[in-house]
Amino acid sequence: MKKVLLLALFMLMISGSISAGDEYLEVTASPDRKISLAILPPVTQGGGENREIPREVADALRFDMELTGRYTILDTSAASGAGIRPGEFDFAPWRAVGAELLLKSGYTLSGSQVILECRLYDVASGKQLLAKRFSGGMRDIRRMAHTFSDEILLFATNEKGPFTGKIAFVSKRSGNKEIYLMDYDGHHVQRITANRSINLNPDFSPSGREIIYTSYKKGNPDLYRRDLFSTAESRISAHPGINITGSWSPDGNRIALSLSRDGNAEIYVISKDGRQMTRLTRTSAINTSPSWSPDGSRIAFLSDRLGKPQIFVMNSDGSNPSRLTTSGAYNVSPAWSPKGDRILYCRQHSGGFQIHSIATDGGDDRQLTTDGSNEHPRWSPDGRFITFSSTRNGGQAIYVMRADGTGQTRVSRGGNSDSHPVWSPRW
Amino acid sequence: MKKNVTWILFVLCCGIFTVAGCAKKEVVKKDETPVPPAAAVTEPAPAPAPAPAPVPVAQEPVVKEEPVKATEEVQPFETIYFDFDSYVLRQDARDILAENAQWMLKNPVSKVRLEGHCDERGSDEYNLALGEKRARAASSYLLTLGVPQANVSTISYGKEKPADPGHDEAAWAKNRRVEFVIVK
Repeated sequence: MKKVLLLALFMLMISGSISAGDEYLEVTASPDRKISLAILPPVTQGGGENREIPREVADALRFDMELTGRYTILDTSAASGAGIRPGEFDFAPWRAVGAELLLKSGYTLSGSQVILECRLYDVASGKQLLAKRFSGGMRDIRRMAHTFSDEILLFATNEKGPFTGKIAFVSKRSGNKEIYLMDYDGHHVQRITANRSINLNPDFSPSGREIIYTSYKKGNPDLYRRDLFSTAESRISAHPGINITGSWSPDGNRIALSLSRDGNAEIYVISKDGRQMTRLTRTSAINTSPSWSPDGSRIAFLSDRLGKPQIFVMNSDGSNPSRLTTSGAYNVSPAWSPKGDRILYCRQHSGGFQIHSIATDGGDDRQLTTDGSNEHPRWSPDGRFITFSSTRNGGQAIYVMRADGTGQTRVSRGGNSDSHPVWSPRW
Repeated sequence: MKKNVTWILFVLCCGIFTVAGCAKKEVVKKDETPVPPAAAVTEPAPAPAPAPAPVPVAQEPVVKEEPVKATEEVQPFETIYFDFDSYVLRQDARDILAENAQWMLKNPVSKVRLEGHCDERGSDEYNLALGEKRARAASSYLLTLGVPQANVSTISYGKEKPADPGHDEAAWAKNRRVEFVIVK
């Protein structure tokens, strides 16, 4: 008993010291007022100068912080000074320009290694709030910056950011639909499949190490599971007909998908090796696009059992199916939020699809997009952001936005046929 | 229990002092010389090195089943078409299926694949399921006309392979279809 109490106290102390920072930031900024943040490009601390590091690190930090919607980023073009550590520089100029937070960083080059040191200061008090050091190669510098952004959100809100995550997506930029991977902000694009058939609907395992996707590479649309680091791959569902819209369960052991082996598309749950299977829906209609609730107890899915495609929710054993969306004639692509409270879906409007967000009880339906046709919404792992595809600039590209629909920003470049983004868990 | 509470209070006080102590340490004393990097009190904890990057694949072997397109010979089959968001066989489709069935019965060595397609307006996933329904509807009808089930297979391409790349009703009408492809 005593042990439990002591443990609880210890936890209280920890959360107390964290929420001291929380309080500081939250009190400083009411929801309708943003905090002014100056982000300085990193300066060399030894080993010579590099032009790419300041540009890339500042760019990544700025992109992340702007997407949060919590900060006004100050123009720091006039700033200079090599000092980044406490006591090495003066805060007066920053007070003068109205900066409330100051992000300074420095880099050290040593052969092919880069050490990046990032420090966040409270300008009013001159107090250092956060400091981290990272080491890696040149190709890791943006990732280091994103890691620090994740830490800033942890400090400010008690929950890490999702900025080190990757987005897997489908692109036809090579002429065929293949699976690609990029940083969430569109950098470091890597091609994952190169089979020149049709590859669809990637989804990450909860570990982020593996993806599942549907491919026609052996003729039939079958479901494959691939390790992203070793490229080891196996075909885990190859029933006659479609094997599509695979969705990894939150515990990582099962995969919900849509199979048409019974004549029409039904939702099944299979083990991650594909050996065991359970059928969840029994209708003569189309049932597809399953999406798990974060506790794994329920599944949202698409069904046209009442005539037109609508979003339904059922228990993950198939019991108690009920209709979620009651307005709109054609609703598809459900995505259950990581917090469990909302479900994204796409509604067909005149001129294309728009992304909606609805409470899990079917209330509070909000349209998040209006410009172009917007599809394939998926949450960031922390539920703060949404990635989706949009045709607003002609071709189809990947975008990100906040969960309330603000801050819509294009992230994929170099192609105009990008779709089906999915945001990985933290790596 | 009372003893416990005293204990808790004691620990709490210690905690408060510790936290206060920490906070004080972080304030930079202005008249001191800058702290040398190695001895800085605020030295950050080393962050984990970045994770290894996933391995991209240059080229995977393609084991793609290439159907023998009958376009070089005289195409014996006509394509059938559907209404929007429907897999119901219209009368024109039934008439064509009857003709196609005639050919298949006369050429029983040929295996035919029915490829279901949709127009671009619906969602990708729903269309994959709808294309499958269209192909299966055609397949079922062929069975009723006496074509052996073993000679017919189905596949859905959803909206992945439009016959007409246009974005109007004329194009969409051509894309909502089931094509007949001789595989053997």
